Amino acid sequence: MTETEPAPDRRTVLSSGAFGAVMLVASVLVIVDAVRLPDTSGAVGPAAVPLPVGVLLGVVGGGLLVQARLQLARAADGEPWQRGAGPRVLGMVAALVAFALLLPVLGYVLTSTALFVAAAMLLGAPSFWRTVAYGWALAAIVFLVFDRVIGLSLPTGPWGF
Amino acid sequence: MDSFGLLMDGFAAAVTPEHLLWALIGVTIGTAVGVLPGVGPALTVALLLPITFRLDPANALIMFAGIYYGGMYGGSTTAILLNTPGESASMITTLEGNKMARAGRAAAALATAAIGSFVAATIGTVALTFLAPVVADFATSFGPPEYVALMAVAFVTVSALLGRSLLKGVASLLVGVTIGLIGIDTQTGQPRLTFGIDSLLDGVDVVIVVIALFALSEAFGHLLTGTGHTTVAPLRERAVLSRSDLRRSWPAWLRGTALGFPIGSLPAGGAEVPTFLSYATEKKLSKHPEEFGHGAIEGVAGPEAANNAAAAGVLVPLLTIGLPTSATAAVILTAFQSYGLQPGPQLFSESGPLVWTLIASLYIGNVMLLLLNLPLAKVWARLLTIPSYGLYAGVLVFATLGTFAAGGTAVDLLVLAALGLLGLLMRLGGIPVAPAVVGLILGPIAEEQLRRALTLSEGDPSILFSGGITIVLWVVVALALIGSLALPALRRRAATRDRG
Repeated sequence: MTETEPAPDRRTVLSSGAFGAVMLVASVLVIVDAVRLPDTSGAVGPAAVPLPVGVLLGVVGGGLLVQARLQLARAADGEPWQRGAGPRVLGMVAALVAFALLLPVLGYVLTSTALFVAAAMLLGAPSFWRTVAYGWALAAIVFLVFDRVIGLSLPTGPWGF
Repeated sequence: MDSFGLLMDGFAAAVTPEHLLWALIGVTIGTAVGVLPGVGPALTVALLLPITFRLDPANALIMFAGIYYGGMYGGSTTAILLNTPGESASMITTLEGNKMARAGRAAAALATAAIGSFVAATIGTVALTFLAPVVADFATSFGPPEYVALMAVAFVTVSALLGRSLLKGVASLLVGVTIGLIGIDTQTGQPRLTFGIDSLLDGVDVVIVVIALFALSEAFGHLLTGTGHTTVAPLRERAVLSRSDLRRSWPAWLRGTALGFPIGSLPAGGAEVPTFLSYATEKKLSKHPEEFGHGAIEGVAGPEAANNAAAAGVLVPLLTIGLPTSATAAVILTAFQSYGLQPGPQLFSESGPLVWTLIASLYIGNVMLLLLNLPLAKVWARLLTIPSYGLYAGVLVFATLGTFAAGGTAVDLLVLAALGLLGLLMRLGGIPVAPAVVGLILGPIAEEQLRRALTLSEGDPSILFSGGITIVLWVVVALALIGSLALPALRRRAATRDRG
């Protein structure tokens, strides 16, 4: 492998910095949580491992932030995202939350079909009704195989599937 | 009884219709997920973990092993026809394989990959058969201090090897270890990092973390970048090797195997490194160096053999010490644990028949894979024509199914979505997700061994450095750390010199 590392693009640098920030927050949470753990009579208590892990989270998270700050100056623009990239991800998260809440009420087949259709349309599926047909077929097959054949009990709506 | 006799007993147990059926299901699913880009064997095994709790251990483990081996075969098809690695160990195959496909030699590339995989995986499995009992025997003398040192070796090498930079690898590993801390501490009963949320008391299920980091982050990533258009190289004729192709392939297969198995079986493993080394070796030794970069068949044969041999090698530390060195191995370890089996030296003495049935089924699975992949190459290639919006929407449906089966509550699905966003951030920032999975699974084991060691010594940390084996292992840790810090600097210097 003789090719050199390409200069990181701005988005990679910013994301890695943001991940460093998340680690710093996690570091504080882990340390605060570990400190409030009571001491036990044993040689090593429940806080023995979380404390160093918390400190390392902070050190490495800080390292990522510093690295990102240093790289930001020479970072190039990366490939552009597609139109409506942010709203698409938010839409997908909303669809997953709706799936979590509606699954026990409306049953597996209907909610999974809806999830499939939402995901496919957000990913750029060309035809709505064809996607509905694919999603329904997939959800129905999954329900038959996993619920009826394997015996994993999936939630059913008022109509029994 | 010696290994050979035990293996024969394993074969006798493995050729029952039931076990053969599960092996066939495993290798078929494995090839399919290997072919599909963005769906790998680690994710697939994780998705199937909760579902197979209804199977008996032998059937489930035979299926998982089939998925593991099958993924290695399938990955090469995608690398050759689509110029995208189906899984990470096939990255190198794209270099020469796709060039061959564009020059109309897709069939020869697929054939050398499939036969090379078969040769390497079979030799690798033979080596596993005879090496594993020896290692297991040796490992019976390991106490908690040795295990702590071994985990440290695995942590360092996994963070250094499974990503581009040590810092990002360690970051990923730490996130996994932190998620592993959530829940009730088994030794003192204290809740850790639960923040008063009852459903976190049992911890976050491994299945959910793996699904979120591998599947959701992939789907989210495609929402940002668009699914794009890819060109699949056409496959016209049957996959066969001409005499001259065979003459050029077989030494490369053997050399790839010789590199892949030992590196895979070190507790440092992974299947990626030997593929790089094999490619470099073939390029250096080839009588046709000018063909490299334009579709040299040795450049497909060597790395493909190397990644399959390494896949067999990874099973040595997994089965004998309980040390997973790849994401898939880590998830398979969880499968063992969910049956109350702990891979390690005792596994061979306590669950001998199960282990030998599993190893025998690896031989059988390999033959099935060769038969599935050579004549049916065209069928697998058709999987690549599934539009990607359908593929990722389907992945989401299976992701939610796996999560629901593992946890069964709405909270689990919300945790899935949150971790999926974390995975997206990691993907965007170039932070590898595989070390997080290894950290999540090995972290609690490492903590248990560490506390056991310190309890033995009544808190004196010098026990961790007592004994010859532990000192050697800590030296390895130090060398690996120095090496991974020095390597990028050396590479940079070489690069500046090249530029001139």
